[in-house]
Amino acid sequence: MSTPGPESPVVLSLGGVSKAFGAVQALRDVSFDCRPGEVHALVGENGSGKSTLLGIASGFLAPDKGFVEIGGRRRRRGSPAEARRFGLGIAYQTYSHVLDLSVAENLYLAVPGNERPAYGRMETWAASTLEEFGLDVSVKASAGTLSLVQRQLLEVVKSLLARPKVLLLDEPTTALGPQEVEQLHALVRGRSSAGVGIVYVSHRLPEVLGIADRISVLRDGVSQGTFEAAGMTEDALVALMIGRPLQLAFPERDGDGRVPEALLEVSGLRGDRFGPIDLKVEKGEILGIAGAEGNGQVQFLRALAGVERSEGRASCDGDELNSKSPLAALRAGVVLLSGDRTRDSLFPVLSVRTNTTIQVLASLARLGFLRRRRERRTVDDMVRRLRVRLASIEQPVQSLSGGNQQKVSLTRPFLRGDVKVILAEEPTQGVDVGARFDIYEALRAKANEGVALVVKSSDPLELAGLCDRVVVMSRGKIVDEIRGDELGERRIVEAIVGGGVARANA
Amino acid sequence: MRFRGWIPLVLLTVLILAVGAFTAVRQDAFLTEYNINNLLLSTMPLALVAIGQTNALLVGGFDISVAALVTMCVVTASFTLKPDETTFALFLGSLAIVGVGLATGVFNATLIRILRLPSIIATLGTFSILEGASLLLRDHPEGPINADVIDALNTSIGVMPAAFIGVVVLAVLADVWLYRTRTGTAIRAVGLDEISSRRLGMSTGRIVFLAFVVCAVFASIAGFYSAAQVQIGSPIIGDYALTSIAAAVLGGASLAGGRGSFVGTLLAAFFLSLISNILPLFQQPTEYAQMTIGALILLALVLYQAPELIARFRSGRQTVGRLRTREGDAPAA
Repeated sequence: MSTPGPESPVVLSLGGVSKAFGAVQALRDVSFDCRPGEVHALVGENGSGKSTLLGIASGFLAPDKGFVEIGGRRRRRGSPAEARRFGLGIAYQTYSHVLDLSVAENLYLAVPGNERPAYGRMETWAASTLEEFGLDVSVKASAGTLSLVQRQLLEVVKSLLARPKVLLLDEPTTALGPQEVEQLHALVRGRSSAGVGIVYVSHRLPEVLGIADRISVLRDGVSQGTFEAAGMTEDALVALMIGRPLQLAFPERDGDGRVPEALLEVSGLRGDRFGPIDLKVEKGEILGIAGAEGNGQVQFLRALAGVERSEGRASCDGDELNSKSPLAALRAGVVLLSGDRTRDSLFPVLSVRTNTTIQVLASLARLGFLRRRRERRTVDDMVRRLRVRLASIEQPVQSLSGGNQQKVSLTRPFLRGDVKVILAEEPTQGVDVGARFDIYEALRAKANEGVALVVKSSDPLELAGLCDRVVVMSRGKIVDEIRGDELGERRIVEAIVGGGVARANA
Repeated sequence: MRFRGWIPLVLLTVLILAVGAFTAVRQDAFLTEYNINNLLLSTMPLALVAIGQTNALLVGGFDISVAALVTMCVVTASFTLKPDETTFALFLGSLAIVGVGLATGVFNATLIRILRLPSIIATLGTFSILEGASLLLRDHPEGPINADVIDALNTSIGVMPAAFIGVVVLAVLADVWLYRTRTGTAIRAVGLDEISSRRLGMSTGRIVFLAFVVCAVFASIAGFYSAAQVQIGSPIIGDYALTSIAAAVLGGASLAGGRGSFVGTLLAAFFLSLISNILPLFQQPTEYAQMTIGALILLALVLYQAPELIARFRSGRQTVGRLRTREGDAPAA
């Protein structure tokens, strides 16, 4: 820290950075820089590579190719400790709090050596630090007891403790209300006028246009260019963010199973990160849930499945859904297809056959013994119907590709005759394009049988093509509803990037 | 230290006093100078292994290999600490024993941190290797240990072995370090939440690596005191792996990492030795000791979690299964 070196024109510079996670190319030859005293915003859809770029800049991830320079110094070995030493501060979207330690201890661990107070003075020091930032929380409380707003603000405070030359803010306003956003922006402006370079990542375009000097756009891991914020409009940014010509095929919305009769009814449902939510889904309808990641969509879906706690009312075909038990939801006919299939729904080491039939073994058994031939026939049927590509149904599920794994988890609602509502969380995440259509078709087929579907997806194109109606969530609430002719990718993206703020300011 | 950290210390102190008083009243042989000195000396190996083990538990791991490592050190001692050696040779011999611990620790830490094996599997492998090696070197107990070394290790001031005073001071200092310094807080943070710790700029890899090395070195020092007890190169020494984990857990360590107390571990090690010490006085078979210890561990775990359980029932918050995820951690999403 002793040699700041000659004043560099940029405080952060990434050159030709590429990064792949398995088969997914998250970033492809991206260059990015940030000058002292500017707010440089980074925008892009979910999965466009924003967080990966920040991860690489902060040393948490190592790039496959390319370089990172902080304050003019080339990084050698990627480590967050080194990045911090070079003058980089970062507020993570998912935070860096150790929830079982106190607020004071969390702050203490976030300060570099030369700024650190004596251990005994930690709490006094933490209290005065928090006061300086206008954050009113007890320093003795463990970080886990803080509200989401407090956690988010604490994360920003922590990132500033080392007096960084460049500050990365990853979606710093997801939990904040309009007033807190203003407070945060005032803080950000203060730092940038003091010469700190700020990289501001957000999907909320009005916020971005309000605070940024320059804006860079990422799409599918490729940079779409850097622009002066002054000449930019939301429309132009949205066009840059989505602008892909690739069209996916979707099954016909023939409306065969459509009956104007509400199957799933939700009123005043609230829980961790979402609510209150009122919603009705009809028989044979596919309802999409859109929104930027972390706005309560997952929690809402899981609450309906009884996996997360909630308050309020939810019913399926007149049966009250008990918010405490996944089993009660299953009995009422509500099935959750988890987005994290290998962790939550499949048994990776067991065979395709076992994974397919595990919930319906009783119907395949006589006197408690499985009728293997009948089981095989059932599984073969499902494999053909969903076009699962495999060598044998005795193959362990983990040896299949992501798309085929997802299809295996989809077989379960098909085998149960009593399913009324399917809650699908990212049904095509990590699934290749070819397999996607099979999954869309399977979901539509289920709707045509009169099942109500709720699909949570971070892909607006998918929602626009698959769903009959889409609701947009922001900060845990439904802020927009799109149906009929209006339903298109662009309209959804606009609602995601503008909705939260527009509604909040109204 | 927050309030719950004191529960194990208080519970163990009460248990030790109660069992001690009960025995003292009924058995004259208990409170004799000879027995107390013997009890404290016999606590030494377990106390040292368990203090080492607490380090591994703090970073969220286990070290099973300590059981075989203690044996290996005793066997090594039967070669390097022979009777009639010069003082200098004995000094080198002692270094060799600590060297065995250091090498084992680095080996374990490499498997766990660099090759990313789960600690329980990695140290189980090391356990097996060391056990085999010990049997290869001494297939039956032979090779007496130097009597001067034994006397030095057993040096006592009155009834109090000097080593025991040393280990008490060590445990207190270690707890002060753990709860009153930055590095101590850092090791707890790593055990509690490794991702956040790395994000905060801690060298999590180095911390975990060191924890396993320290654990093994402590086991090798325990080897000296074990050698002083059996006084011969025996390839069959008691099982310190599970007992040391038991002591650490009774002392307040969490199997999930990030929580623990060295003083608690020491108290628990003493308590476990106390149970083994008094059963023969009551003419009870030692099998009862094992069963008592098992039951107590279960009881202690339930008790230590009581505050959390009560809090959970009060607020009615209950996560079903383990479905809650930390959103956004999936790198490709």
